[in-house]
Amino acid sequence: MSNEKITDAAMNGALDGFEAASAAAEIDNSLDFDDDPLSATGVSRKSLVIFFLIDTSGSMKGKKMGELNTVMEELIPEIRRVGEADTEVKVAVLTFSTDVRWMYSTPIPIEDFEWARLRANGVTSMGAAFKELSLRMSRNSFLNSPSLSFAPVIFLMTDGYPSDDYREGLKELQSNSWYKFGLKAALGIGNEANDDVLAEFTGSKDTVVHAYSGGQLAQMIKIIAVTSSQIGSKSMTLSDDTGREIGEEDVFAAKQKLLGQQIQELVGSQVEESDVPFDTGW
Amino acid sequence: MFNGFSHSVMGASHEKTGLVCQDSSAYKVTDNYAIAVVADGHGSKKHFRSHIGSKYAVEATIEAIDRFYEDPEQFEENFPKNHKMILKNIEKQIIANWNFKVEKHLAENPVTAEEKSKFTDEEFEKIPPESYYGSTLIAAVAGKKFTFGVQIGDGSLVALFDDGKAVMPMEYNESAPANVTASICNSNAATMFSSFYTDKKHIIAMYASTDGLYTSFGSEYDFLDYHTIITGQLTNLDAFKQVIVNNLTKRSRFGTEDDISLSCVFDSEFLKEKESLIKEKIEENKKLAAERKAELLKKQV
Repeated sequence: MSNEKITDAAMNGALDGFEAASAAAEIDNSLDFDDDPLSATGVSRKSLVIFFLIDTSGSMKGKKMGELNTVMEELIPEIRRVGEADTEVKVAVLTFSTDVRWMYSTPIPIEDFEWARLRANGVTSMGAAFKELSLRMSRNSFLNSPSLSFAPVIFLMTDGYPSDDYREGLKELQSNSWYKFGLKAALGIGNEANDDVLAEFTGSKDTVVHAYSGGQLAQMIKIIAVTSSQIGSKSMTLSDDTGREIGEEDVFAAKQKLLGQQIQELVGSQVEESDVPFDTGW
Repeated sequence: MFNGFSHSVMGASHEKTGLVCQDSSAYKVTDNYAIAVVADGHGSKKHFRSHIGSKYAVEATIEAIDRFYEDPEQFEENFPKNHKMILKNIEKQIIANWNFKVEKHLAENPVTAEEKSKFTDEEFEKIPPESYYGSTLIAAVAGKKFTFGVQIGDGSLVALFDDGKAVMPMEYNESAPANVTASICNSNAATMFSSFYTDKKHIIAMYASTDGLYTSFGSEYDFLDYHTIITGQLTNLDAFKQVIVNNLTKRSRFGTEDDISLSCVFDSEFLKEKESLIKEKIEENKKLAAERKAELLKKQV
């Protein structure tokens, strides 16, 4: 005689899947999630990677780099708060001068992230940075976590004109889907930063801002990083008011537009401080 | 002797929006083989009966395997000799069973005005009827002399063979178009299966899961280690059944809020034999995970 067995539980999908699933949903309020022998492998939430592309060329030496290091150290706890609710925020920092270099070998969860103070030296290889970013922004590289991801936030900070063929690098980056759907913002530091180049990177002038002093640099970095993280980690519906499905492209375009509007509003509301500009007296 | 379990939990996001669970899962154990199956009904609007489609996918698969095992001795003799062709036949049988169930359901339950109301006439005309029921499917089958699996669409199959290492043995179908989500409802579904077969290694435990489980992990290492830890718990299956309900619910609620299904079959005698090896593997995995994290946190500038 066969000992074939198809228990009720065993056939919870094949025979009465709906009832079984509903029952599971009802009883779960009584579950004790802390008493879990399987907790060694943690539960991962939907993740958002914030990419900082930072110019560490020689012209950033002194006040600019000092201020940037200080602001970034202060910024980490603020971004940590953005991720507290439903999103696992990770940070990746790519520095570019004569060479391009990642601060860590992979994006680091914000809870574990520690800022490594940067030093400035060399020329501005922005095109090489764009190429490196494009290479790493891939499911086979930095974005290989099984958990679902929001489109990344990409934040560029520079104080000068690129010394290499940035357009070639940008062309490569523009073919990367993560870049296409990512939220992009840029900060020009001091008088030499070229807003047109930055707008080419972000795709819109609304998401480009300028800082001419240490005080402004701190304000702008915080505005862009926090606002873009908040918008980037927001789930937006894929249907319109009539319940009709809309394309992901439209959702990302809406997010990018919202980022531009919010950045411009926040920048406009900043109080002018009597601060010494970067390009005079330093 | 084979044993198993299966469980589906409804995604937290589905609870919030009043949707039904679109996953289905089941396992079946006989004297000759054991099968673990899961299916994930597609979420988008045009697949409005996918919760029924996933249930049919699970049933269709178990029925297909049953049919091939009608004469176990003959099947066990023939399969190793011509496994590629027989696997193709199993896949075709699954599709045929599923299509039959879907056609029958649609004939007995025509599309309602409410179901149609979400589309314009033009939109609705463009949807092939089988798409209403679209689903993925992953099945793991452990026989006495061989082990195999079939898959269409997203999801994972994890196996622990003699060496106690958790692996994903599926050989993915490179000819399936990358930009099309493989589904049991595709007109060319029978050509979109991925599969694996081995008669060289003996199975300790094998798991099929929908992608809600995979996406609740931060790394593939963690995902594989999770299956090793589960295998270490299977010697006390009755106690473990509540543990897995608890854990899958937690993963859905605090993870990606998706439906999650996990189905497992294992060889209980072989597992007892390998119990200390599995415990060693769990400890080794913990150590490796700590080493990976330390490496990750090294600054490079």
